[in-house]
Amino acid sequence: MDTHAALYQQGQARLKMLRSLSPRHAHSLQSKMEEHGISRRDFMKWSAAVTAMLALPLPFSTLVAEAAELADRVPLIWLHMAECTGCSESLVRADTPNLDSLIFDHVSLEYHETLMAAAGWQAEENLEHALEAYKGNYLLAVEGAIPTANNGAYLTVGCKGHTGLHIVKHAAEGAAAIISVGTCAAFGGVQAAAPNPTGAKGVDQVVNKTVVNLGGCPPSEKNIVGTLMYFIMFGQLPALDMFNRPKWAYGARVHDNCERRGRFDAGEFVEEFGDSGAKEGFCLYKVGCKGPYTYNNCPTERFNHHTSWPVLAGHGCMGCSEPNFWDDMADFEKPLGRQLLHGLDATADTVGAVILGATAIGIGAHAVASVFANSKED
Amino acid sequence: MDTPTVPYERAFIFSAAIRIFHWLRALAILVLVITGFYIAWPFLVAPSSSDVLVQGWIRFAHIVFGFVLCAITVVRAYLFFFAKSDIERRSFKDVTSIKSWIVQLKSYLWMGHLDKKGVYGPLQFVTYLVISLIAALICITGLVLYANVYHLGLGGLMWEPAAWITAQMGGLAQVRIWHHYFTWVFVIFVVIHVYMAVWTGIRFKHNSVDSIVSGYDYHPKKH
Repeated sequence: MDTHAALYQQGQARLKMLRSLSPRHAHSLQSKMEEHGISRRDFMKWSAAVTAMLALPLPFSTLVAEAAELADRVPLIWLHMAECTGCSESLVRADTPNLDSLIFDHVSLEYHETLMAAAGWQAEENLEHALEAYKGNYLLAVEGAIPTANNGAYLTVGCKGHTGLHIVKHAAEGAAAIISVGTCAAFGGVQAAAPNPTGAKGVDQVVNKTVVNLGGCPPSEKNIVGTLMYFIMFGQLPALDMFNRPKWAYGARVHDNCERRGRFDAGEFVEEFGDSGAKEGFCLYKVGCKGPYTYNNCPTERFNHHTSWPVLAGHGCMGCSEPNFWDDMADFEKPLGRQLLHGLDATADTVGAVILGATAIGIGAHAVASVFANSKED
Repeated sequence: MDTPTVPYERAFIFSAAIRIFHWLRALAILVLVITGFYIAWPFLVAPSSSDVLVQGWIRFAHIVFGFVLCAITVVRAYLFFFAKSDIERRSFKDVTSIKSWIVQLKSYLWMGHLDKKGVYGPLQFVTYLVISLIAALICITGLVLYANVYHLGLGGLMWEPAAWITAQMGGLAQVRIWHHYFTWVFVIFVVIHVYMAVWTGIRFKHNSVDSIVSGYDYHPKKH
């Protein structure tokens, strides 16, 4: 409990510092909650749920609640690069605004191309102002891959025609922390799939700072907000795994917590979509589930207010939150061993069997020749 | 009775350790290839009851024999370098001699004798070296997959290096698919290996296949 006590004190000190700063919004979180019909009880439940999700003990839920209220003291700059805005959509397109989307609204969001009212020169000025005014203090969230070929010319944003590469490098310099939201920003995503003509890369490959990678196409709103909450609460980044993903979210494979895992162990597999096994809820491994190779908390956190996730809906995991997923996880409806090798249009097993057949023919020819070969041995 | 007899020579070539490990490894490879192909593409039909963990038990066998293969790969490498008899190590002299390569390759094409300093010819030696390296790689990728699935105990102990290797290979999917590719090397090797063992025995009148059982090689005395 010593480390937890130290962490708790760190959180308290951080929140005390934040409280001394002036809020960005005139309305408190509480008034916003009332406006949206979210009760205080809902708020406490949400705080406890976030605490549990971050793998912190229950006493931290008071810190989570306080951090949520003080979220408007933390400047957030959100950049859009080569992307589809699906990650922002994952967060803001809730059928009813819940606390996750409300926190996103409450946090001091200085710049977000999808959500801001400004356009053109005014938008550019807002970004420049935010980068300057909050230098060294803002949290930078990047959505989308960074095209790097031809000096980044494949992506230019805004009226000044700066390349995405230039904007991200510039914004990263003054950032207190950087979060790559989604697989594109984290690992390049679909844009970086072979042959990758635009030289698309993840943010961590173009800046020389630690970047938190929130893989997922999109990542769930829980993983985005959880990471925000952790930074607001402690002023630092959570423990990260080998691909710099937060361990609390990406610490276990999809396979580990899958509701169909029992079917897998029992050897009960869906053979094709729509068969009797599919109706029984059998394991989707043979129709291409990549859950065994994918680290994410989809089975426990799900998407869209905990409504569902791909495997619950009857399709296997595509491994969308893993590095290089578009190339590595294809074909999405076949297991990895049946993957068609690039350039050969054959599976590894077909190639292996052909080599084995050629070997057998060679052996046969050698054996027959040996019968006729003149033996000089005695 | 005065039948002319060809004088035969008996030579002890394979120690008990080498023979035991050879057959244990053969068994491990057989089990691992079969269970491995099941894991890649579960070809058995579902059991009548969900209480029968078909995949679970097959995976268990795969893991048990996987650790057997890991252990043998390590011990066998040790034996190569530190065994009392240098009959294996001697063969390295043939590998560095171009003449030995030509002699062996010609002998495979029905021209001339095998002439070896140790127990292996140069092509044979290099093949076994490659197989041993592939064995090491399939063991390492297997252990990485193991550590990614079983997080406690031995898996937990191996977690840090396993995570490092996973990152170097670009993710768990890559580890898994290379593990699959390596399997085919063993499948193809076994077929060639068995044929060559039988063929050299017949062609050069050696006690080839039986020597890995008895340890002794019988061959006509050289004049």
